[in-house]
Amino acid sequence: MNWKKIFAIVRREYVERVRTKAFWIATLLIPILFLGFLAIQISISRKTGGVRNIAVVDLTGNMEKPLAAELTAIEAKQTKEAEGRKGPHWSLEPRPVTGSVDATKDALRREVLAKRMNGYLVLDAKQLENGEAEYFSSTVSDFIAQVQLQDAIRNVWMRQKIQARGLPPDLANELERRMNMKVFKVTEKGTAEEKGAGILAVLVFLILMYSTFFMYGYQVMRGTIEEKSSRIVEIVIASVRPTELMLGKIIGIGLVGLTQYFVWSLVAMNLSLPVVAGFLAGGGDMGVPRIPISMLGYFMLFFMLGYFLYASIYTTIAAPFNTDQEAQQLAMIPMMLILGGFLVYPAVMNNPNGGVALFFSLFPFTASLVMFLRTAVSEPPAWQILLSIVLLLGTTVVLAWFAGRIYRVGILMYGKKPTIPEILRWVRYSPGKAPQPEAKVG
Amino acid sequence: MENAIELSHVSKAFGRFQAVDDLSLHVPRGSMFGLLGPNGAGKTTTIRMIMAITAPDTGSIQILGRPMDRKTQNQIGYLPEERGLYRKMKVIDHLYFLAAIKEVSRDTARKRIDGWLEKMELRPWLNKKVDELSKGMQQKVQFIATIVHDPDILILDEPFSGLDPINVALMRDYFIDFRARGKTIVFCTHVLEQAEKLCDEITLMARSKKILEGSLKDLKRRSSEGLLRLSAKATVAEIGGLPGVASAKAFDGQYVVELQKGVAQRDFLKQALERYDVEAFSQKEPDLEEIYIDAVRNAGIEETRTIE
Repeated sequence: MNWKKIFAIVRREYVERVRTKAFWIATLLIPILFLGFLAIQISISRKTGGVRNIAVVDLTGNMEKPLAAELTAIEAKQTKEAEGRKGPHWSLEPRPVTGSVDATKDALRREVLAKRMNGYLVLDAKQLENGEAEYFSSTVSDFIAQVQLQDAIRNVWMRQKIQARGLPPDLANELERRMNMKVFKVTEKGTAEEKGAGILAVLVFLILMYSTFFMYGYQVMRGTIEEKSSRIVEIVIASVRPTELMLGKIIGIGLVGLTQYFVWSLVAMNLSLPVVAGFLAGGGDMGVPRIPISMLGYFMLFFMLGYFLYASIYTTIAAPFNTDQEAQQLAMIPMMLILGGFLVYPAVMNNPNGGVALFFSLFPFTASLVMFLRTAVSEPPAWQILLSIVLLLGTTVVLAWFAGRIYRVGILMYGKKPTIPEILRWVRYSPGKAPQPEAKVG
Repeated sequence: MENAIELSHVSKAFGRFQAVDDLSLHVPRGSMFGLLGPNGAGKTTTIRMIMAITAPDTGSIQILGRPMDRKTQNQIGYLPEERGLYRKMKVIDHLYFLAAIKEVSRDTARKRIDGWLEKMELRPWLNKKVDELSKGMQQKVQFIATIVHDPDILILDEPFSGLDPINVALMRDYFIDFRARGKTIVFCTHVLEQAEKLCDEITLMARSKKILEGSLKDLKRRSSEGLLRLSAKATVAEIGGLPGVASAKAFDGQYVVELQKGVAQRDFLKQALERYDVEAFSQKEPDLEEIYIDAVRNAGIEETRTIE
């Protein structure tokens, strides 16, 4: 290994990429899109305010009035808590049954369609007994308002049941109180309350890893193919060894990724964090996420290990081919593996020390994502972490060797697209022992 | 250490195709060496093995007296036949990059390429992307990159293809000066006219094998022994019938006469002058093309040459 030459390769890969307009557009556009997305979320959540005009078909005969009172109380409470952020305002209109219930419903349906009201509610004692009520509306995705209405119905129904049994009405208030379970994470340093923001940070880190493996791994592949198709590779190979070229390329492109994250973190600190924090604070006392040093450390470690692993796979895939299209088919393999590591996320979250979590955190192709997740949400035994790292490193070394062999033969291969058995023959080939496998020569 | 490059019994196969078959050759130091032969003769594979880009199956290769290593790699300038550039890179950055992977610093590189940029009229293009350059311009950039580390050995695969005569002349002057400094050049080409003008040592390859080698002067002298060019008022049969003549053929309005071994030119001429009106007479020195065709025939290999 000649680090001077590797450095020259790293420098070229880095400078040429960071210099492009495309890099800066992507780097600046993604946070803007992200902020825009957040803004839309916030504005949607604000829109839950506003008047809902609904008709109530009260078949029980005594629920409509208490329900209206309950909804007014909920609204008053919410306005106080959320500091002026308005929740939905309910305006109820009792509607007696004219003719049959179905005829009444049909008439109301037409009124909703004519936009004279937002919807109508049917309260039937038999259904309520089963814990059911029917609400008909032109918008069924108005979740926050619907939940509010549902809670109000439940409260009123419960209070009436309590009174009917002759129990004190105050009991209802006590029963209504929600149970709030505080979650503490047991670590070796003691116990710390888990406020949910930590989980959010883990998720952000996971997405970062996932997208880096995918995007920058793909860049490594494209860079290798471009070197072949532009026929520069033979000039370069006359000065550096294939492994040096490979390593330099992987490091250089990795640094481009880190630069992008650095810019993003600057943007985040100056712009989005107060917004995010403010947004989260609205829902409770989450505050700004505190990211423990150990989590950062594990992130860096598994980030690097995973990146080198996937970059080696992408290089191997690129070496035999001359166009992106030819490599596309095989490029699905690392994509699936990366996606796999990301998709087991809920299973690992549910049981971070279970069998599924253990398997995927040791399986080298998903280990980087899953083991990081496990270290973040639980305390896996040290031997498991070590084994995972050893397996990852070992696989990367084997793959780099494998990639190097294919690269060595493949990068000078022009002409027809090689088949997979042919490529495997290149790996087995060692100079001096047997003829070099099939190839087109100039 | 009199040989810059030495190959002994080198063979290389790709699958069932034998690209190079038991090739031995030596490139003397300070020579202009031509590795010649038709397309597909195994020249490019041979050169790639010298550059350690591909490994030989059997045989050994020595460069400046030892196997290719880090140091020798930086002493060789290589211009492959399959050559390109990074399309999106600026010309000047490209030159610095190719210098850097030969471990030449920017300052040194700048000093070395300065004169060339002027001579090859590349200066206005320095900050342009490679994409915007014509093919010929790119060729010039590649050439400058090949010599930017002031190598001891130059290996050039079809170096003149696609260049205009002015730049060919510029490069040729450089090669002559390069050799005058005791350095070695290997040309790899199938254009025999170029090789004839430049090379002093040649090796001919055809069908993966070496079929002829030596200094061009020797080869020409050897082939010209007993060969005469004659213009006379006589038929081919009449000339062929003169004593001491092995064969005579009509060629280009003249006769090419081959004498029997041991027959003196003087004796043959006397006979010819006595019998016929001889208008012109000269020693016939064969050109490289004739030597080549002869060698291919003698080696029992069918004509495979393709002429560009």
